Order: sequence, then C-alpha cells, then structure tokens
Amino acid sequence: MPSPRFPIPQGTLDMLILQILSLEPSHGYGIAQRLEQISQAVVQVNQGSLYPALHRLEQKGWLTAEWKPSDTGRESKVYSLTRTGRKQLGVEKDSWARLAGAVKLIFDEGNRT
Amino acid sequence: MMPLLNWFRRNRLENDLERELRDHVDRRAADLVRSGVPELDARRRAAFELGGLAQVREEVRDVWLTRWLRDFAYDLRFSARSLRRSPSFTATAVLSLALGIGATSAIYSLVDQVILRVIPVREPERLVLIDWKGDPVASGFGSWNLMSYPICRDLQQHDRIFEGVLCRAATTVTFSTGGEHQPVAAEIVSGTYFHVLGVGAALGRVLGSDDDQPPRESPVVVLSHDFWKSQFAAASDVVGRKVLINQYPMTVVGVAAQSFRGVDVGEVPSLWIPASMSAQTIPGFSELLDRRTRWMQVLGRLRPGVTLDGARAELQPWFKAMLDEDIGRPGFPKITAGRRQRFLASTIALTPAPQGHSALRRRLSEPLWVLFSATAVLLGLACLNVAGLLLARGSARDREIRTRRALGASRGRIGRQLLADSVLLALAGGLVGVALAPVAMQTLIAFLPGAIAGHALHATVDARLMLFAFLVSLAAGILSGVAPAFQAGGHSLVASLGERSGTASGVRLRKVIVAAQMALSLVLVTGAVLFARTLTELMAKGPGFDTSSLVSFAVHPIRSGYSSAQASALIGRIQEGIRTSAIADASAVVRFPLLTGGSWNNQMTIQADRRITTDREVNMNAVTPGFFDTLGIRIVAGRGFDERDAAPVGEAGPRTTIVNEAFVRRYLDGRSPLGALVCVGSGPDARPDVEIVGLVTDFSYRGLREESEQAFFPMLDGREPGGIFYVKARSTPEQAAQVIRSIVHDADPALPISDLRTVDEQISRSLNTERMLATISGGFGVLALALSLVGLYGVMAFVVAQRTREIGIRIALGARRSAALWLVLRDAVVMIAAGAAVALPCLGALGRLVESQLFGVTATDPITVAGTTLLLAASALAAAFVPAYAASTVSPTDTLRAD
Repeated sequence: MPSPRFPIPQGTLDMLILQILSLEPSHGYGIAQRLEQISQAVVQVNQGSLYPALHRLEQKGWLTAEWKPSDTGRESKVYSLTRTGRKQLGVEKDSWARLAGAVKLIFDEGNRT
Repeated sequence: MMPLLNWFRRNRLENDLERELRDHVDRRAADLVRSGVPELDARRRAAFELGGLAQVREEVRDVWLTRWLRDFAYDLRFSARSLRRSPSFTATAVLSLALGIGATSAIYSLVDQVILRVIPVREPERLVLIDWKGDPVASGFGSWNLMSYPICRDLQQHDRIFEGVLCRAATTVTFSTGGEHQPVAAEIVSGTYFHVLGVGAALGRVLGSDDDQPPRESPVVVLSHDFWKSQFAAASDVVGRKVLINQYPMTVVGVAAQSFRGVDVGEVPSLWIPASMSAQTIPGFSELLDRRTRWMQVLGRLRPGVTLDGARAELQPWFKAMLDEDIGRPGFPKITAGRRQRFLASTIALTPAPQGHSALRRRLSEPLWVLFSATAVLLGLACLNVAGLLLARGSARDREIRTRRALGASRGRIGRQLLADSVLLALAGGLVGVALAPVAMQTLIAFLPGAIAGHALHATVDARLMLFAFLVSLAAGILSGVAPAFQAGGHSLVASLGERSGTASGVRLRKVIVAAQMALSLVLVTGAVLFARTLTELMAKGPGFDTSSLVSFAVHPIRSGYSSAQASALIGRIQEGIRTSAIADASAVVRFPLLTGGSWNNQMTIQADRRITTDREVNMNAVTPGFFDTLGIRIVAGRGFDERDAAPVGEAGPRTTIVNEAFVRRYLDGRSPLGALVCVGSGPDARPDVEIVGLVTDFSYRGLREESEQAFFPMLDGREPGGIFYVKARSTPEQAAQVIRSIVHDADPALPISDLRTVDEQISRSLNTERMLATISGGFGVLALALSLVGLYGVMAFVVAQRTREIGIRIALGARRSAALWLVLRDAVVMIAAGAAVALPCLGALGRLVESQLFGVTATDPITVAGTTLLLAASALAAAFVPAYAASTVSPTDTLRAD
C-alpha cells in the first residue's frame, strides 16, 4: 500500500510557489505555511528548498520582492508574481495538464489489454 | 551576466538573506510558542525545519552566483593568498607578463590609432574610396589614390548608388589674421564633404553645396575645433571674422564638430576650404576643372543596401563611356598606342574606407604590423616563461597538491586552481603593463615626425586599450597556465605517491617550454639584427654627398601673395644676402627638397643615336648654378650650370640639362651623354630639344634607399613660386641659422621660414621608421634573450638538483667529472638544437613579411642567421654551464649521506 504522502516531483516546487503567489503576494513564511498545508494533505515538501527556489525565481524575473512592514510591525520580504511569472505559470499548468493527460492515456491503454 | 552582477553586490544580497531568514525563524518560533512549545526549543525547531540555516544560505548563494563562478572566486582568493606567500616568484612572473602585455598594448594602441580606428562620422562603414585602376594619362600632385575634381562631380550624379560623393586634398597654407604669418595644415574639400560624412558644426555652419560653385565666389573657411580653441581662444564671435589664406581674404563661417579631425589620421587639418577656392589656396593652380589633373581623393557614401560589388558593376559602364569620351576631348594628350590601350583598359576601383584615407597609414602599416607581430612573439615568450615558473613551483608544491588529491580534490579541480594562479598573475601583469604602456607609447611616438606626433597620435589609455589589455591578459593567463594545469591533472595518485620527489613528465614539459623559448628568441633576435643592419647599411651608404655643415630651409613667397616673378626676385635677394654674409662657403636653391620622400617626376624622351622613351619616371629637379659644388657632388663630365644656361628673353623652358650616372647606365649604355637631346614627357608630341651638358655622380634625392635616374634643369627663368635653400655653413649650424633668419627677415619681415635645419637632421628624420624598427626590435631581442636564458637556467638548475644523487653515485663508481658535466650539458644542447630546428624554417616564412623593410641585407641572410644562432647557442650554453659545473663538482659522499 502506497504512503499517503509522496515526495514532491522534481521541478514542481517552482510551479506550486507561482500558484500560491498568483492568489496573493506573500512573505517566505506565509508561502511555507501554505506549502505545509498542502504537504499535510498530499505531498511532502522539503522546507529547506523553499528559499533557494524563491531566489531562483526572482533571478529569472518571475517574482519581485519588496520589504514591507507587516501586521506585527516588523518588516518582511514580500514576494509577488510579475507579468512574465504569471505567463510562466500558465505555461507550466498547461504542460503539466498535457503530461498528466498523456500519462493517463498510456495507463488507460495498459488497462484495456 | 546576472551572476557577475551579483558578485559585485553580494554584501547587500547577504544582508537581505540574513534578514529574511531571521524573519522566517521569528515568525515560526512565535507560532510554535503560541502552540505551547517552550521559547528556547521553538527557535531551534524553526531552524531545524528549514534544514539548517547554514545549508539554506549556501544553496541560495549557489543561485546567485552559479557554482563555477563562486568556486572560481574562491580559487582566485586562494591563489592571491598563496602568491602573497611567495613574493619573489610572484614579482618575477608579474614583471615578465607586464613587459609582454605593456609592449603589446603600446603597439596595439598605435596600430589602433593609425590603422584600425574608424573616423568619427555617421555610419563610417558605408564609406568607400573611389580610385582609378590603370593609366589615367594625367599629371598630378599629392599622395595616393588621386582623382580629378570633375570626376568627383560626375560621380555625384550617381545618386542611385551613392548617398553622396566628396573629394578632398591635403595642403599647407599660410594663415594670418593680419599680423604674424604661419603655415597651417588645411583640407581643400568639395561642398559635399561635411554632408557626406555627416559631420555638423559646433558653431556657425559647415561647408555646403552652395560653396562648390562658381569658382572664387565662396571665399569661406571652416575652422577645426582644436584650431578654434588654440588660435582664437574659443571666441564665440569667431563666425564672420576675416582671415588671410595665402594673403587672400576669406571669412570664417563656422567651427566643425569637436571630435572631427578630418579623414586623414596623419594630416589633421586646422581648416577646411572649398575646392572652388583652390586657385587661392594652391598658388599657381588653375586646373580645378581639368580632367587630366589628379590631386584629390574621392570618397563616397553607399546607399543602404548597395554592395561594393553592386556599385562597382553599375559604375563600370559609365566609367568606360567616360574613357571613350575623354580620349576624344580637345586637349587630350597625344599618346602612344600602347598607352592608349592601357588608358582604355582602366577600371574603377572601390575599397571600403571606414578609416578614411591616410598616407601615413600606408607608410606605417607595415612597420607597425611587424612590430605588433614581434610583441606577440615577445608576449608568447613571457607566457612560456611564466609557464616554466609555474611548473617549477608546481614541483615545489607537489606535497600540497598530493595532499589535496588524497583528501578527495578532483584532478579538474586542482587544474582549475592552478589556472586561477596564472590568470591572477596575468591580470596583475596586465595592470602593471597598462600602467607602463603610456611611457612605451611616448617612446614609440617620439620616433615619428614631430607634426604627426603632435596632432594625430596620443599616448593615452582609453577604454578600447583597456579592453584589449584585459583580453590579452586573460589569454596570457590561460596560455601560461594551461600546461601546469594539465600537468597537475595528469599524474595518477598512486604513481605520484610512489615517487621520491618531482616528476619526470614535469621536467620534460619544462624542457619543451625552454626549447620553444629558444625558438621564439631566435626569431626575435634575428629580426632585431636584420633591422639594425638595415639602419647601419643606410647610414653607411649616406646620401652620396657631403652633409657636414650643410643647412637647409624653405621659403614659399607665393603663399604670401607674391607673383612668381616677385617671388623669384625675393629668392634672388635672399641668396645674395647669404652670399655676401660671412656665414656661407657656398649656397644654392632648388625647387624641390631632397630626402623628404617626394620628387618632381615624369617620363622623358631621349634623342641620342636613336629616339627612346624612358621606361620609368625620371626624378627631376631645378637647381641654381653652384648646386653641385655646394653639396660636393662631383661633375664627372661636361660642366655645371652657369649664366649661359639662362633662357633668352621671350623663350620659355630650359635649354640645357645635367643627368646622373644612373641615367646614363640605364638609357645610354654608359656612353657619354654630352650633346644628347632630351625633353620631359613621352608620346609622339614630345620634342627633345634640351641638350645634356653635364654628368654627375649618383646621390639620394627622394630618400636614402632609392637608386634612381635623375635629370636637373637650371633654375634661372625667374618664375619660381618658392625655393629650398642649401647653405654650406662656415660657422656652426646654430650661428648660420641665426644669420639666415635675419637675412630672410630683412628681405620680408612677414615671410614665414620653414624647415630650417641641418641636412644631417633631415637624413635622420627620413630614417625614423628604420630607426624605430631597429631600436624597438633590438629591445625586444634583448628581452627575449634574457627571458629564455632565465628559463633555461631554471630548468637546468632543477635537473641538476634532481639528479644530484644519481651523479654522486656515478662519480662514486668512477665516472669522470667531465662525463658528469656532459651529462647535464647534453640536455641543454638538445633544447637549443630543438629550438633552432623549429625556428630556422619559420625564419624563412617570416622573412617575407619584413623583406620590404630591409636594405642591404636579405631576410634569410646566411651570415645574420648563422651569427644569431651561434650567439644564442653560446649564451644558452653559458647559462647551462653554471648548474652543469655545479653537478660535476658534486661530492659523492655528501650526496649519498644527504638521504
């Protein structure tokens, strides 16, 4: 019987971050919490890879970051999606859907025989 | 690019990340505390969840800089530390590279300024030089690529090919604002000039097509920005001022854009004058509209999309038709059938001219490329030297490297570390080299004539040069590091742990490097000797006349508003003044100066026992009686000129001439020329009616290198525009110069006197290219020799140190000391022989490149090549002998005890 929580596939973390930020801008800890919620449900995210991923996406120009004062009075680095980031999210969703569809098709084929 | 940028702002990035992570941990800890975790545990757990803060930081840094760049930065830092620990090694390596890079950068700067740099105009890449290929059947004056003004006007009609066509000619005019007269460089240009180049005015206006015609109605000048600043103190009201050009009043209409210095890097004009004013600008010139007088360079701007080949193909039919039309025009010279054929076979030539047109470029390109190649060889030598040093150091660092490998460093990783060493050394060398470069440039420029050095070339380090030096340093670093890096990567762990010390293959590589150094030095030293011999040969040959106490100067009264009759009278008065003063033993005037590279030349027709036309141009001059005596030129047969040779009243042209021995050798089979009739010009119309009355020995006219046929005419017809005086001074040249100044000043206080100097000085000037090549390549030769001898010595000393034990055993077993000496010297002989074997065939190939710069010696001159090879071999053996001798005096007991 497979484990209810499987490790996140390579490269999907970027897509998840983009997806989370497409709803609203957030700081690193906020994203981590959202990821935590997702991980408890289905997948297991290594928290340590969050910050390298954020910086990588920022360097690619898909995210911008800004220091903003928050509710607690301290400053937090808040990430938000850029226009190219939004476009990239679209591309990734699309290719993900195609890949998932293709995999499903292959499995369906296998079931029939 | 991004990672590089991040490198420079890594402190800020680092701070940001620190704050960001602290924020995360704070928030997480606060949440944990709220859910009941004790304060102390909360922070630790928050950090733990992230997988360790240090780990996260490292991974984020990898994102910023990419792995290899970070590693390389660490490598550089490590290299810097280890190089600081061995200062003498570092200093030697940096200095070798600094010499190589400094010399290369200095020469490159001149190559760039004279040859490569495009002129600062709009889209220079679309400029083309339009030239006549074939026999133009025209007379002319000026440097190269000459065309007539009407052809330029014709070309302007081809507006489907050209956006515009300009023509220009460089000249010197006498300039004044009313007071002092001074000679200044000017450019005579078509009205289209500025428009075609796309150069605007800094003040007022530039010339336009309105200034093109009709002749004489546009007495205007445009000043260069530099001249405006120096001569008019950058006065803002300069536009509209009257100036005198050759005593003719003209109006300043504007100042050209600041960066623009004309199209010729070697002759920077102070002002631009429309071609329609050429009669006022060039005294006695009235052939502006003559199709058979060529004196201007023509440049065109191609329309976008028009290719060079396309333009040529489209112009050729028009050009052919023009030739046919020209030949039928009234006044077209009568020419032989052969010449007519050559004329009609002429084609139009288009060459890209983004660098403008320059006579200086033509003269200096070859010497500069020769020097540039020499610096490349020198730099290669310096790289080899550093490679050798690095290899030697690699052997010394063997223990460190082996330890690192044992700890798991990969071969590539260690190789890269060594490469970082050499790149760092080269960058440091480059920095020192660039600091030295201006001094080297100054030295180089000092070899060139003053006028060019003053205006055209600059000994400054600009961005282009910095970029060049950086790239060269990088290349040098990689070149000198690649062998050691490869070497370090090469040997296997087990083998190197098993060895006693050093590695055999390391020594072999160092021997190969020394052999290559020998080869490169041999090339450089041979080149230096060839150029030195060329210079001494030329100096030893001399001009063929006695130059001691010979002073010369020039006056051009016609540029100061004199008519030619008045000018002749003035020249007569000055000559009389010199004759009656006590300073001169003898003096004479000639029409064209000696030893400046130029001459009056044309074909001649000779009527002796049969009629012949000279197969090449004869160099001619007009001289006053007493010229040959003044210069000490022997009259071999016949007589010199005297009053008898003056033309009778009402008759123009000379009636007598004197030729030199070369003329007689080539055209009269060495028979006595006296009584033969000649005339200037060729073709059926030429009427030989000038009698040869004298024969003189050969002497240099254009320059020291030439051997030419010469003919001299008497300068007595009283229609001279100006003259060049030669004075045999009785006193010192300085005293004579002073007296000459006052004599000219007495004759006309406003008359500028130019080129007042001794003939020796003139000769020395005419040899400046040869001197530059000889001196600089000599310096390179010495450097090369020193570098390679140091390299050889280093390897030999190392080999001896390595083999001390072996030699000690041999001696203990009864080998003679001479055998030990030979054992070591044999290695050196092999290296020297290998170097020579590589270099000698190269010399043959390289020789062709420098052949045209040589005189009195060929590039493969056996004596020179054998001499330099011997010199190199002898000094190399001497350098090798020191360690070899040390080996032979090894005490067997000591060495055996040492282990």
